[in-house]
Amino acid sequence: MKQALIFSVEEFSVHDGPGIRATVFLKGCPLRCEWCHNPEGQRFENEIVKSQAGCENCGACVKAGGGRLNEKSVGVCPNRLLRMSGEPYTPSRLFERLRRLLPILSGAGGGVTFSGGEPLAHPDFLQETLALLKGQTHRAVQTSGYCDADTFRYILGQTDYFLYDLKLLDPALHKRYTGADNAPILGNFRILCGSGKPFITRIPLIPGVTDTEENLTAAARFLRENGVKTAELLPYNRLAGSKYASVGRRYAPGFDENALPHARTDIFRSFGVEPKVLWGDHVD
Amino acid sequence: MTEHTKQLLAYLKKAEYRRERTPGMIDVTDEIRGKSDLLRDALRFRVMLENETPKIFPYDNFGFRRSRGDFAYYTDENGSRSVQWSAGNLTPDYPKALALGMDGLRAELLSKREADGGAHADFYTAALETVDAALDYADRYREFAKNHAPDVLYRALCRVPHGPPESFYEACVFLQFMIFTLRCNRNTHLGLGRFDQYMLPFWRSDLEKGVPEETLFETLEEFFVSLNFDADIYQGMQLGDNGQSLMLGGYDLNGQDRYNELSVAVMNASLELRLIDPKINLRVNSKTPAERFLLATRMTKQGLGFPQYANDDVVVPGLIRLGYAPEDAADYTVAACWEFSIPGKGAEIVNIDQMVFPKVVRRELFAHLEACDSFDRLLEYVKLGVAFDAGEIVGKHSGHHYPASPWLSVFIEGCVQTGKDVSAYGAKYNNFGAHGVGIANAADSLAAVREVIYDKKECTKTELLRALEKNFEGYGELRNRLLSCPKMGSDDDRADEIARVLLETYADALNGKPNGAGGIFRAGTGSAHEYYYSARNVGATPDGRKAGEMYGSGFSPSLTGRPTGPLSCIRSFTKYDMTRLVNGGPLSMELHDSVFRDEEGVEKVAQLVMAFIRLGGHQLQLNSVNRDVLLDAREHPEAHRDLIVRVWGWSGYFTELDPQYQAHIIRRTEFLV
Repeated sequence: MKQALIFSVEEFSVHDGPGIRATVFLKGCPLRCEWCHNPEGQRFENEIVKSQAGCENCGACVKAGGGRLNEKSVGVCPNRLLRMSGEPYTPSRLFERLRRLLPILSGAGGGVTFSGGEPLAHPDFLQETLALLKGQTHRAVQTSGYCDADTFRYILGQTDYFLYDLKLLDPALHKRYTGADNAPILGNFRILCGSGKPFITRIPLIPGVTDTEENLTAAARFLRENGVKTAELLPYNRLAGSKYASVGRRYAPGFDENALPHARTDIFRSFGVEPKVLWGDHVD
Repeated sequence: MTEHTKQLLAYLKKAEYRRERTPGMIDVTDEIRGKSDLLRDALRFRVMLENETPKIFPYDNFGFRRSRGDFAYYTDENGSRSVQWSAGNLTPDYPKALALGMDGLRAELLSKREADGGAHADFYTAALETVDAALDYADRYREFAKNHAPDVLYRALCRVPHGPPESFYEACVFLQFMIFTLRCNRNTHLGLGRFDQYMLPFWRSDLEKGVPEETLFETLEEFFVSLNFDADIYQGMQLGDNGQSLMLGGYDLNGQDRYNELSVAVMNASLELRLIDPKINLRVNSKTPAERFLLATRMTKQGLGFPQYANDDVVVPGLIRLGYAPEDAADYTVAACWEFSIPGKGAEIVNIDQMVFPKVVRRELFAHLEACDSFDRLLEYVKLGVAFDAGEIVGKHSGHHYPASPWLSVFIEGCVQTGKDVSAYGAKYNNFGAHGVGIANAADSLAAVREVIYDKKECTKTELLRALEKNFEGYGELRNRLLSCPKMGSDDDRADEIARVLLETYADALNGKPNGAGGIFRAGTGSAHEYYYSARNVGATPDGRKAGEMYGSGFSPSLTGRPTGPLSCIRSFTKYDMTRLVNGGPLSMELHDSVFRDEEGVEKVAQLVMAFIRLGGHQLQLNSVNRDVLLDAREHPEAHRDLIVRVWGWSGYFTELDPQYQAHIIRRTEFLV
């Protein structure tokens, strides 16, 4: 049975595509971007998430789990700080859940966005869910683009809109900061551009990593080569590290978190790409 | 905003003027001895005004400010003091007063007294006494203004309030005179009604006469600033709870849209001023254009909790269903917070009591749970309980009336015509409204009982009742289980269906019941401060709420249920026939302020509101909040003196609220991303 772990369905996401959207977050990602603000989406397995604020260190959770945190710990917290992240869904069950919201979503020119994690890491589940939603609402996929070309084409056929991330154009740097090769990402981007499907490109501005003159120039050139006329620049979110403790990990990015990222809109304009800087602190 | 307006605003915010008042109450016991109730009230009003000294502030073009910090009172034959607030929570007939002027109203009183032949001489004498007292003060104020106020005010006072105003500015001065005198008369929580309707003729005729729009806008803004002076004297439960609500827009019976250029100006003034008065309400329906919601959402973005939306598609048919004349129903406003009422025609007591749903549920559980072998049987008992409590409300309050209030009665249709004061039910509408408190806690409680006791049999009846008695002490895991049961606000029919049954039972039992005052009772979904007061003495409930913990505000999810999200919440709260619950009471939702950080977010919030209206919700109030800011404001009030939040049917300065209300607002933000 095709099924995937979903760690959140956000009902009123306003920055994930046109109109009012419900965004489905699929659990598991092949990338490990150092600036990832959503560590809960990385692992493909379900895990305990523990909110830190309000913990009185009563120990009930560890005791119930027999010395560690596990599913037995979740119900015993007097302050309800624990939850199990990652609920298994089949496409039809997810469709049932979304179906109730469709009149509001579609009535407001919106739809459903699949995000993660990396939604393309769950191709069969994703394809089938998108197919169920076909003709019912507008379908968007927010992705790093990291998957093989066949998988990408498979999803492309069932998607109305992409929010596509471009991070680093240099293969070695991409590997270093995300743990993955960028060749499939750039390849799939070309497929997307050739398909005529509407999409928006998003470039995260990570200080000293992606916001360098070399990278932004390479990105702008790459966009022009593919006939792309606009891009959204997303300044680094300095709260990115705030969720790591809740999944029992430490946030240790290899760049200066406190430096303000450079948006360098001039570079994009010089390549005929109109940039839009999204919310967040930055310098030009 | 002009420089002059900025100066006035700065003077208001310094609040030094409050310290200049003469303290102390005025005892008028000797003056009123042996007089009728009506005359007593009129005489107290006269003495009250006689003790006021005309006063004006710097940059102030409206005047009529309080020189004393307190009120006049008398001690009656039984030794009780008349210090309580008088009739309020309603909207005087501003349009008629503006059309006739006080001399015109006085002439009408005289001719009605003549025609009446003495049957209601007491009322007419008292009413005329109040008119004369108010005009005496206005005359005294005019003479003061001659030398001490801006010339423009003096010239206006040479026309109003004796005669009808001839300009927008004069109309504002007239309103200021009414507001000042009515408040001196202890009539509190008076709404401003449909300001953009009755003030529009003055606005337009000034424009036609060549008055620049900027000048009119300055007058409008300064009048709004003016409404915020002396607010500390008139606070209800808390500072800000003073009922100065203003309604914009609305559709007439032919479906014609009455939103106009003055409505837009009012919205823009409120946006620019960021003050708690007037509190903006907006009438909309499913055909209202999107741009209007966009402008309104920019207001929401400011975090003041304005506007509150009312849906004409629901409210107008609902009022007609209760027996209001269609043309009156189409003219509705909010009384002071959210209670739908008819301006100038209703002297209704819109908050006479409340149905406290969780209290009923808990009581019936302890009485009948053990004996009920099915959930349906239990629900029958709860329905009987709701109907019983509704009956108690009817029995307890039938024949209740306002204190005598001839000065207010002068501005209520029906009173002048029949010679009957509002206290004698002279108004056209004399209905009583009741709140509906804690509906989500009640529905969630029953949904939890059904799930853990009847459906899944995870817990025995005895165990559950024991856990409630012990306030979950030693039952932490059961409580967590109860907290994970279906919740109203998550679009879960297992909870929402129960809410429907409770609401229908309540509406059936209360709506239309005669109230012994020539009117009827009407059911609503508001809570006001009862989310706190009515929760204090109610023990733990099966939704996981601990003893004394507060309920959700108005028609909103509980504070304990983690809602799935705003869309499910909207669906949950639009599943009912809200035309049967038009005493009003909004769904309040908190949205994190980051949603509003760009124009795209603002547009989408506007679409969310439109969805609510399309789905048939009756009333909605949104808040842009940031939990971290609220927490910081609680710790460091000195750094957040300007932070304004929605409390219930009104907005106030966060740092000036009592701790329980601060706590409620913070709790409401707990589940925001």
